[in-house]
Amino acid sequence: MFLRESGRKHGLDINLEALVRPELDSGVPGGPELLEFAEAVIGPDRARLDAARNTLAEKLSRATVTGASAIAGNFSKNDRIADAIGIPIEPSDFQPTKVMRAQLGLNDFKSAANTFRHFRDD
Amino acid sequence: MSLYADSEYLVRDEIAAVHARQFKNIVAPGAWGSGAQRRAVAAEARRAGYEVGLLEPPPDGPDEPDVELPEVARRVIRTIAASVHDLNKNFYDQAMADGLSDAEYVEIVGVVSRLVDLDVFARGIAVPPRPLPAPEAGEPTRERPGTAVHEEAWVPTIPNGPDGGEIGEALYHGQPMPYILRALSLVPEELRAHVELEVAHYTRLEKIFDYEYQHHEGLTRPQAEIVAGRVSALNDCFY
Repeated sequence: MFLRESGRKHGLDINLEALVRPELDSGVPGGPELLEFAEAVIGPDRARLDAARNTLAEKLSRATVTGASAIAGNFSKNDRIADAIGIPIEPSDFQPTKVMRAQLGLNDFKSAANTFRHFRDD
Repeated sequence: MSLYADSEYLVRDEIAAVHARQFKNIVAPGAWGSGAQRRAVAAEARRAGYEVGLLEPPPDGPDEPDVELPEVARRVIRTIAASVHDLNKNFYDQAMADGLSDAEYVEIVGVVSRLVDLDVFARGIAVPPRPLPAPEAGEPTRERPGTAVHEEAWVPTIPNGPDGGEIGEALYHGQPMPYILRALSLVPEELRAHVELEVAHYTRLEKIFDYEYQHHEGLTRPQAEIVAGRVSALNDCFY
């Protein structure tokens, strides 16, 4: 939701599907480098992370590495809190995200059960 | 000296100061765990990360716990830290059946999740996990908010609005909060610490819908969101 809306504000044509298929063009400047860094920093391959970090610093900036690390850390935290506490998405977000959830395959995530215990798509 | 003086990547003072407070908070007495127990929770979470390769141990060796934790606590810690795809209602129910209280569980979720945040950040800027400080002496507060009730989450949460009472007003500042900013409210100090890190790492809460506001140098909001979205997709996080 925030990616789509912030992209609109920045005049970008965002392809949300790149979040689950990172080989696609996301429409975000530096998207490929950011997607690769995001995956590497929470993954087990240290050499891949080192390469992704260097590429991100070269193609965007060193400050981008620090900012992207903060964001990756934050959402590693939030995903754990959400899925360990079993919270559903906000009721107001459920119907507006119906098409996006289906398009990205989000309804197949195990943690979707925490929402579908309470809400159903029409 | 900054907590990240050894990094080649500049970390602004505000973030380094928040991180220093977070580490101090993690090893201080909480609502249900002593400082030594909370430090042991953090050490166990890191050990799980080292074992699956999500973290690299520091050159001078891993942090050693000061106390031994019950098996159920260790299982919960390790799953949250390093096996996020295995979090489900059965996992939670089993933890309750094996003797953890709902509030102890929430406190562990908070400590482990914040530590993972700090450690992912350190790994991102190419420095080892920061050492855990020595535990702080003192007793847990054992305070449970009286207005916490079962809503839609597995654990009780403090509701938005008047039903949340004074503690809800103090935590939410009179604003309706999304679930992610209420999830840990059964342990109010854990919620406060989570929000402090949220504001430092993601964005100021009053700027959440200001898409032109840029919280980090070199990272526009769409660029921040694509990192956030990819991390959550890889974690299979529906929320």
